[in-house]
Amino acid sequence: MKKSLGIICLFVAICLITAIYGDGFLTGFNLTNLTQRTALFSILALGAGVVIVAGGIDLSIGSVVCLAGIMTPWLLVEHGWSAWAVIPLVLAMSATIGLFHGVLITRLRLQPFLVTLCGLLLYRGIARWMTGDQSQGFQGEFEDVRSIALARFDVPFLGDYRLPATVIPLVILVVLIGLFFSRTVWGRWLLATGRNENAARYSGVPTAWLTTGAYVVCSLLAGFGGMLFIFDIGSAQPSDFGNFYELYAIAAAVLGGCSLRGGDANVLGIVVGAATLQVLRTAIILVGLGSQLEFAVIGGVLLIGIAADELVRRYSARRAEQTSRMQH
Amino acid sequence: MNTTRALLSGLTLAIAALSIAGTASQGDLVAAQKARIAEFAKHPKARSHVAFVSNGVADFWTIAKAGAMAAGRELGCDVTVEFPGGGLSDQKRMLEDLIIRGVDGVSVSPIDPTNQIEVLQLVAEKSLLITNDSDAPTAPRLCYIGMDNYIAGRMCGELARAGCKGGEVAIFIGRLEQDNAKRRRQGFIDGLLGRSSDPTRYDEPSKVISESGYTIVGTWTDSFDRAKAKANIEDVMTKHPKLALVTGLFEYNSTLAVEVFKQSGKAGKILIAGFDEGADVIAGIRDGIVLGTVVQDPYGYGYESVKMLNAFTKGDFSMVPANGMLPISARVIKKDNVDAFWADLKAKLKAGKEAASKA
Repeated sequence: MKKSLGIICLFVAICLITAIYGDGFLTGFNLTNLTQRTALFSILALGAGVVIVAGGIDLSIGSVVCLAGIMTPWLLVEHGWSAWAVIPLVLAMSATIGLFHGVLITRLRLQPFLVTLCGLLLYRGIARWMTGDQSQGFQGEFEDVRSIALARFDVPFLGDYRLPATVIPLVILVVLIGLFFSRTVWGRWLLATGRNENAARYSGVPTAWLTTGAYVVCSLLAGFGGMLFIFDIGSAQPSDFGNFYELYAIAAAVLGGCSLRGGDANVLGIVVGAATLQVLRTAIILVGLGSQLEFAVIGGVLLIGIAADELVRRYSARRAEQTSRMQH
Repeated sequence: MNTTRALLSGLTLAIAALSIAGTASQGDLVAAQKARIAEFAKHPKARSHVAFVSNGVADFWTIAKAGAMAAGRELGCDVTVEFPGGGLSDQKRMLEDLIIRGVDGVSVSPIDPTNQIEVLQLVAEKSLLITNDSDAPTAPRLCYIGMDNYIAGRMCGELARAGCKGGEVAIFIGRLEQDNAKRRRQGFIDGLLGRSSDPTRYDEPSKVISESGYTIVGTWTDSFDRAKAKANIEDVMTKHPKLALVTGLFEYNSTLAVEVFKQSGKAGKILIAGFDEGADVIAGIRDGIVLGTVVQDPYGYGYESVKMLNAFTKGDFSMVPANGMLPISARVIKKDNVDAFWADLKAKLKAGKEAASKA
């Protein structure tokens, strides 16, 4: 909780400003929409976070979102496959992509940046080729399958706020990943690998397996997220679906407290980071700023937030050092 | 003071001279292309190779491709169709590559005609240039094939005016950089508000316009990110709970409006004036939740482009009207003609796909 304090303060400040200066921020409809978008982007950001903790980076998240997202209606609608076959197949394909990245990075010793950059191009290219650049959608069918992302649940005492179904997988993932880092030896080993891979390896930690596993989790979550996104939107064009989503995922993870140097995990912070980005995007419209300013506002606010967080951390570290020196 | 005035006069003269030189160069390039066509009249090409370049990747362009391929098959010429997925730089690269391949003529929908003049000049210099869908009036193009986007926008605005007698209106569009998007949006605003026809008028996208019982609360772009496009509609619904009508001026904007209104229980309560022929929009017209949609004829853009370029390589310039614009008008599709339109489109797409597979 202490590690997330900076990002939570930034999140609360943006929410307060938007609620004061914007219209309809606290309506049930808006909060439902924000919860849905936060859940979708958080799933991608959790995957990005696991790779960042391991000291890596994955630039292919957006393209995996695209490939998995496009493949889902393509197989269901165009090829008439059953949802029971399509969902496991798409998830297995996404995990295989992660395994492929992990093997190239740990066995062939290729740089993660380059491997995943090539993946970014490769998977989008495959999606475009496979579908002949045609938009893929559900054409008004498969309402039952789409309810995985579209279902909403009434919540007592919260008026017209309705809890989106996507929160369920998000909570499960947060708990699982949180327990993995805090309660398992494998989680500790992954943190150690991220902090200093050589030291961890010489200490007997199976760093190659752990790093590969991190990439598998990241691609699997990107593929799962891609499926949820397409269930939510209904149709997508392979040339632009998921473009730049890796940057939103990485930004949310870093904002949430995962250092790009590796070895720092903060699962709750990642979700708050993703929520901050989504609230900022919504604030642009609700406050009535021009949509042309969107990137400038997001970039500016995040920069101020990150700088303030870093300064507070340094101040706290200095104070802690002074206190310990005085005690000795 | 005199020195400043002299400097300013000199600068004005220099700019004027440069503009005249520029105009002359454009005129020269048009004349050079016409001379090449005259040369083709003496030595017609047995089998020409022409190219059709879109301004992006969309289902709309798939229909245009079907038209281009069908014309190629019918006329016995080779057709290359390119869809730039990466914006302006991608389109430039594709045009340069086509020139290197030695195509006889190119029909292109320029993404940013003002800032693409060099590459369009290059195409005119080495091949034969026509534009489709979105014009580049300052480029040395021989003809523009397409509709007037201002008029099409007006049709959409008038459709909205007829179905919605006032209230708050929001406009959603992919991007506003290209000529056709700007003209379409302005046409919609003028048609909705019952203004006189003036394609040179321009209302700022961020400005709220209150006129004739309507309040246009704004225009929102999404740079082709559909998740963002969907979020835009939801957020505008939050900010403006009394919204009476929305228009999506790119195909997916209307499709997503149908999707969002269905999900939020607002279908039929907030009206939609659509643009282009998204499957959900067509279904929405049948269900009565979309007032109607203005459709272009992308098949015609592809078909007529290939037909015209192929005619050029036989020395035939007769297809080009005196004003250099071949109009392919837009149509309004409503409940009474939606089924006939859909059946016709499906048949054309099927024919185009067959032509493409045989090519």
